[in-house]
Amino acid sequence: MTVQPFRLGDTAFARLGAGRPDGDTLGALRRAEHSRSLLLLREVRRQVSDTPAWYAAQLATAPEEAARWVTDPMTALWAAHCLRSGPCDPGPRGPHVLTVTRNGLPLTVRLEDTDPIRSRLGLTPAPPLAADQARRWHELLDRAWELLAGRHRPAAEVLAAVLRVIVPVLPDPVAEGISATSAEAFGAVALSAPATPDALAAGLLHETQHSILNATHLLFPLVEPDGPPGYSPWRDDPRPAFGVLHGAYAYLAVTRFRRSAPGAAAAFEFARWRGAVAEAAEALLTGGELTPAGTRFVTALRDEVTPWLDEPVDPAIQRLADLANADHRARWRLRNLAVDDADTARLVAAWDAGSEPPEITPVLVPGGGRALENSPRLPLIRAVLHGSKPGDGADAATVRGDDRAALPAYEKGRDWGGLALVSPHPALRRRPEVVRAAATALPQAPLNALAAWLS
Amino acid sequence: MGTSGPEEVAVHADPDGDEPEEWRSVMIDLSAVPLPDLVEQDGSALVRAVRRVTGDAAPGEPIAGFNSAL
Repeated sequence: MTVQPFRLGDTAFARLGAGRPDGDTLGALRRAEHSRSLLLLREVRRQVSDTPAWYAAQLATAPEEAARWVTDPMTALWAAHCLRSGPCDPGPRGPHVLTVTRNGLPLTVRLEDTDPIRSRLGLTPAPPLAADQARRWHELLDRAWELLAGRHRPAAEVLAAVLRVIVPVLPDPVAEGISATSAEAFGAVALSAPATPDALAAGLLHETQHSILNATHLLFPLVEPDGPPGYSPWRDDPRPAFGVLHGAYAYLAVTRFRRSAPGAAAAFEFARWRGAVAEAAEALLTGGELTPAGTRFVTALRDEVTPWLDEPVDPAIQRLADLANADHRARWRLRNLAVDDADTARLVAAWDAGSEPPEITPVLVPGGGRALENSPRLPLIRAVLHGSKPGDGADAATVRGDDRAALPAYEKGRDWGGLALVSPHPALRRRPEVVRAAATALPQAPLNALAAWLS
Repeated sequence: MGTSGPEEVAVHADPDGDEPEEWRSVMIDLSAVPLPDLVEQDGSALVRAVRRVTGDAAPGEPIAGFNSAL
């Protein structure tokens, strides 16, 4: 038996990094994940001396059917779980297989609502679907597929080549259309029942990118292991470089999807995420944690998104997109960075002595845990995008662009997240956690004077 | 089990320039190999590939939380 290592030409690899893999590349990624599943099953089989029932069934199954089972996303997920937890039996598979065809392009997925292993995808699975719920999924998938196969053909072809399983999950009270992916289940996506075909399309595109990136990383490690966590535009908690890359790659597809979509909300998403993806790619390229393959991959990603930065967007919408990104960064800093006791003491001593402020290096606050975006201003931005008034109060003034109106309330309430958006002092905008530390340690000092001193 | 070529992930440089022309993986393509054959086999390439897929033995954190609503 002679086998070959996986190889990928540089042009194909760059197209993959740009989020535009060709059919041959996708075929290689599927074979890689097929190989991975076989290797996991080999290890699971070797855990026990007696022939387990699942293995006996494999031996008795026709090759094509056996391969179908091996390549099912739930099989690798189960096998990886068995290797960690000890011998276990695979669960039954869900009965709802949906096929939709639009513009001559078919998509076949299974709604996995039965196999207990589906809970390992990171979100709480929904109970088995009633017939009307399965019908609703079918209708939504058909309409999402109409949109994708009709107007986003290359992305639809990628999706059709990768997606095999949707695991319906319970909705999140703070997020519509929440979704998840596991590196252990290539081609599986966990999704709460989407509100619209558009949301389903966006969710599928986003999550499929995670699967593609995981398969790529299996073949060609993209990031050096064990790097320190840092800023990610998509999460409120610190993320390792590979997590940042996952976000950038997934949002690259979402940004492309929103690029040609009508409406203010889509324009906002495009304007916001093109900036975030470009910024994240640049940070990865200068962060020193990418392997040579990772550098090639992220360079292609960056080169893909960079021209989008010059595409015209309504200035009012661009302002809201910039505000949302600045808001996220400021809240991230306030949540995850702090000034340690030694630096705080130096700040106090310098202030008391009337000296220049010392160099301060904020440190990560340990143990923040996983967190999703939760800005009080984001719902107001969305309201404006849908034609409503943002209402009253400092946050509404910020969303309207009236910084002067928002500032006094933020100052009075020591709302550091708000101050970071509207303050005239650069220190508050760039490093609000440092001003917060100084103000806390020097409660008698006027805030404006402190912020000016630190700027 | 035989393999050909280097065993490390490598960039093959174009002899006429600096541009890489091909990326080669430590992973081997086993997709056409029946599972029973794999179970019976050992070999350095296979062991490396097993290490690659089981190296992250800790459960990979699922990536959750994308909000797809506009």
